[in-house]
Amino acid sequence: MAKHHGDGHHDGHNAFEVSSKVSEFEILELAVRELAIEKGIFSAEDHRRFAEWAEGVGPHGGSKLVAKAWSDPAFKQRLLENGTEACKEVGIDWLQPTGVGTPSDYTFFYVLENTPQVHNVIVCTLCSCYPRPVLGMSPDWYRTPSYRRRMVRRPREVLAEFGLHLPADVEVRVHDSNQKSRFMVMPMRPEGTEGWSEEQLARIVTRDTMIGVALPRADRTSDAGSLAEQVR
Amino acid sequence: MAKPKFQVGDTVRVKDRTTLFHTRTQKFIRKRVGTVVAHRPEWVIPEDEAWDRMETGRKEPFYVIRFKQTELWPDYTGLAHDTLETEASESWLESVKG
Repeated sequence: MAKHHGDGHHDGHNAFEVSSKVSEFEILELAVRELAIEKGIFSAEDHRRFAEWAEGVGPHGGSKLVAKAWSDPAFKQRLLENGTEACKEVGIDWLQPTGVGTPSDYTFFYVLENTPQVHNVIVCTLCSCYPRPVLGMSPDWYRTPSYRRRMVRRPREVLAEFGLHLPADVEVRVHDSNQKSRFMVMPMRPEGTEGWSEEQLARIVTRDTMIGVALPRADRTSDAGSLAEQVR
Repeated sequence: MAKPKFQVGDTVRVKDRTTLFHTRTQKFIRKRVGTVVAHRPEWVIPEDEAWDRMETGRKEPFYVIRFKQTELWPDYTGLAHDTLETEASESWLESVKG
């Protein structure tokens, strides 16, 4: 394979042609998609709309959930008791926007609350299950065999690679999403955020803090830079 | 819905069954002993769902099992109180006398 790629003297092929090579997986996806469209299961327009939606969903929904839970104890209770239902309060319906989501796609959503004693972190060793309606697409590293294999086996070492060193009196609890449940971590509200609005709080609840590989900090947002002016 | 066979707090062992086809029971939890920490709803087991037997498939209660990391990995390098949680359907679990 590799010798046909990018050797620069193969019939004058250039980088454009190399990058247009389609993987077997892409061919499979295309074939299944076209069959589904021919059978009328969905239209090309439905597919485009869904792809646009899926690629546009970010971790903002999750950030909102956490910020609201930090600010409103009653909501926090509802969120911990029934994550799927509580999501609707911030406008996230796990069966939308397609309206045809099946319970086998994502059924049960659970929010894992960090405490001073327990730090939660999520992984899916079997594939790459992830709470997409609330966190968007998973980061590339989340899907790598390296993360999946090592997070269950050497969680403290992997967390340290992310810069997260947890004290010895904290229990690290790994959640392997192998069945129908999807998980999200609710980090602890950091110091220095007293009196903040939900909107301000949401900005420090980044994707990684909801996977469990980072902790939120009052001086760190996902869109670093605008933070200083926000806090001033 | 069938009454769950195991209760929260029960000690269970994950069976090491033959899986010719699809399963979602990870290899690394098989033969390992853990504690039931939560019930999950009954559902068609993955072994049948993988074949799209949503109507006729076998339904079983699911459980969240918490394992001590040192139980899963004898050479675990973290701390003794570290844990891992994952889910299993009833037929994968057997009772362990406490």
